Amino acid sequence: MNLSSFWSLIPLIDEVGFIHPSQFVTLNKEATSSLKHEDANFWSRDHKLAISTDVLLPLYNAAKDAFMHAISQYKRHGNLSDASGYASNLESEAMKHSKALLLLSCDFGTAWNFRKLIVSKKQKIMLFLDELLLSALVLSYSPKSEKAWCHRRWVIKMIAGKCSTLQDIAGKESELVEKIAERSKMNYRAWNHRCWLVSYMTTEQVLHELKKSRNWAGLHVADNSCFHYRTRLMLRIMEEHCHKLEDGTSDENNEIYQIWQEELDWNEALIKRYVGREALWLHRRFLSLSWIRHFTTTLGDTSNYRACKSSINGDIGIFMDNELHLANSCSTIPDNDFEDFQAQAMYSATYILWLTKQISDSQGIELPEKPNLGSLETMLNMACPERSFLWDILTRITGKCDEVLKENNC
Amino acid sequence: MGELVVDKHVKYILSVEKRKDSFESVVLEHLRMNGAYWGLTTLDLLGKLGALDSNEVIQWIMKCQHESGGFAGNIGHDPHLLYTLSAVQVLALFDKLNVLDADKVANYISGLQNEDGSFSGDEWGEVDTRFSYLAICCLSILHRLDKMNVEKAVNYIASCKNVDGGFGCTPGGESHAGQIFCCVGALAITGSLHHVDKDLLGWWLCERQVKSGGLNGRPEKLPDVCYSWWVLSSLIMIDRVHWIDKDKLVKFILNCQDTENGGISDRPEDAVDVFHTYFGVAGLSLLEYPGLKAIDPAHALPVDVVNRIFFQK
Repeated sequence: MNLSSFWSLIPLIDEVGFIHPSQFVTLNKEATSSLKHEDANFWSRDHKLAISTDVLLPLYNAAKDAFMHAISQYKRHGNLSDASGYASNLESEAMKHSKALLLLSCDFGTAWNFRKLIVSKKQKIMLFLDELLLSALVLSYSPKSEKAWCHRRWVIKMIAGKCSTLQDIAGKESELVEKIAERSKMNYRAWNHRCWLVSYMTTEQVLHELKKSRNWAGLHVADNSCFHYRTRLMLRIMEEHCHKLEDGTSDENNEIYQIWQEELDWNEALIKRYVGREALWLHRRFLSLSWIRHFTTTLGDTSNYRACKSSINGDIGIFMDNELHLANSCSTIPDNDFEDFQAQAMYSATYILWLTKQISDSQGIELPEKPNLGSLETMLNMACPERSFLWDILTRITGKCDEVLKENNC
Repeated sequence: MGELVVDKHVKYILSVEKRKDSFESVVLEHLRMNGAYWGLTTLDLLGKLGALDSNEVIQWIMKCQHESGGFAGNIGHDPHLLYTLSAVQVLALFDKLNVLDADKVANYISGLQNEDGSFSGDEWGEVDTRFSYLAICCLSILHRLDKMNVEKAVNYIASCKNVDGGFGCTPGGESHAGQIFCCVGALAITGSLHHVDKDLLGWWLCERQVKSGGLNGRPEKLPDVCYSWWVLSSLIMIDRVHWIDKDKLVKFILNCQDTENGGISDRPEDAVDVFHTYFGVAGLSLLEYPGLKAIDPAHALPVDVVNRIFFQK
C-alpha cells in the first residue's frame, strides 16, 4: 500500500470521512469546480478528505506498520546527537505516521502518547495548539473518542501555567463541546470535558456560562448531560459563595438566591411545556434539595450546612406547597395515546417522594406537613402499574425514616 | 421465553479471536487485552474455558508486559491500567498468577497514585475513578493493597459522589452507571461501602430500568445490555437488587442474542460483539440464570476463581 498519496492530502484537512467507493461518483458529480486530486481510494476538495472503505484495511495496516517501525527507530537512535539531522528526521517521520494512524484509528493510545512525548520535549505553545487542531479534527467525526478528549485535557494542563489566555482557551473549549454536543446528543465524554473545564474558569466566566448555555438547554430538554453541566456550574457558584460567607468578605445572598429562583421558575416552565421529560424532573430534584438545604431556616440547627446558611429565611412550608401543587397539576392522565402523560405523572410523584425522603434524611430540616405517601403510591400505581413492587419499596423507605426520626426525637 | 444459546456463543467467541480480516476488527487491536478478558471470562462462565490453549494466551500476555511492570493492550503498545487489570484477571482465570512478578506489577500500579488519592491511567496523567477501581481490584487480586494509600484512595472516590447519590469520573462529573460500578466496586473491595448512601444510590440505579425491561446507563438513554452488568452488580453490592424487575431483565438480555450465529448485542436486532456478549452472560449469571457459573460482582471474575485467589492456602 503506497501511503504517499494519503500523506500528501493530510496536512490541511479539517474533515475526514470513510465512504463507500460508489459514493465517490456522487461526490464527483456534485463538484462545482475541477477536482484537485483524482484517485480511486481518496477524494479531496476544500480541505475535506474522503477515504474509500475498500482501502481502509490495507491503509490501516500500512500506517500502523510504518508508525511502529518509526517509533522503534526513534527509541533506538532518536536521542543521539543530531549533527546530520538524522534524529529530527526520525522524529518527524514518526510524527507523520502517528497522525495518519490516528485519523484511521482514533483511540490508538500509543500514537497519542508518542505525540505527547515529542511535544512535551519541545515545549512550544504552537505545537501544543497543533495538538488541539488534530484532536478537534478527530472529534469532528469521532465525537466520542476517549483518547482525543483526554489528549485535549493533557494539552490544557501543560499550557495552563504558561498561557495568559487560559480563560480564552477554557471558553473556546466550552464552545467546542457545545458544537459537538449539537451533533452528538448526550455525549458523555464531551460534557464530562466541559464539566472538567469549570475548574479552570473564573467566577465571572462560570456565571456567564450559566446564562449563555440556558437557551441551548431549553432546546435540548432530553439531554441529561447538559442539565448536569448546569448543576456543576451552580455548585461552583455555591462553593464560591460559601467561601465568601466564611471569610466574611461578603454577605451578598441576593444574587445566589436569584440564580436559584430563576432556575427553578425556568425549570417549572419547561416541565409544563415538555410533558414527561425525565431530565427536567431530575434537575428539579437537585434544585429543590439544594434550595431547601441552603435557604431555609432550620429547627435546632444541627445541619451540616451551618457554615453556609443564607441569611434569607426561605419558608420550607411555602416551598413544598408550591412543589406539591406542581406535582398535582402533572398527575392527571387525560389520554393514553402517547406515554408522555403517564411518564409525567410518574416523574412528578417520584419527584415528591424523592424530595421528601432526602429532606427527612437531612439533619435539622423538618417538613411542617408531610406529603400523603399513600396517595403518592396510588398515583404511581396508576401511572405505572407494572412497577408496583418498586413503588411499594420506595414509599416504605420514605415513610421509615420519618419513624426513625420520631423515635430519636422522643 | 427464549433460552441462552450457549454453544452458539462459544463458537462465536472462538471465531472472533481469529478474525483479522476486517477494518472493524483490526481497529480494535490496541485493546486486545480487554477483548481477551471479555471472551475468556464468558467462556469460563459458560463452563468452556478449556476450549482454548491457555499456554498460547499466557505467552502472548507476558509479551505485552512493559519494563515498567504494566501491561499494554497488545504487543508493542504502551502500558495502561486498563490492560494491566485485564491481564491479571485473565491469568487468574487460568490459575497462573504465579507467572507474575507481583511486586513489579504492584509497583507500576502504586506509582500511578496521585497526592489526592486518585489514580492516573498511565504516565500521562489522566485521572478518572475508573482507574481507581482498576488499581484497587488489581492490587486486591495480587494481595498487595498495602502498596497504595487506601484511605486517600477511598476519600478521593467519596469526593466524586453527587447529589443524586451516583458517581462520575472526577468530582462534579455526571453520574454514570459504569463509573458507579467502578466506585462501588472499589469501595466494596476496600471495605468502605459506608461512604455510599445505599437508598439514594439504589433509587438512581433502579430508575435505570425502562419499559422493555432493559437497563440504561443514564437518564433518558436507551437500554443497553452492558448496563445489565454495571447497574446490576452495583445494586447487588449495596443490597438493593430487589429494586429491579429481574425477570424482565432476563428476557431483555435473551432478546439481545443472535440465536443463529451466536453473540449478544447492545439491544435487540443490533450487531453483536464480544463486549456485549460478556456483559450479557455476566448479567445473566448475576441474575442466577441456570447453567452459568456464579460471578463475583466486585472483582468481575467467576466466584470459584475469586475463592481460589483469596481462600486457597
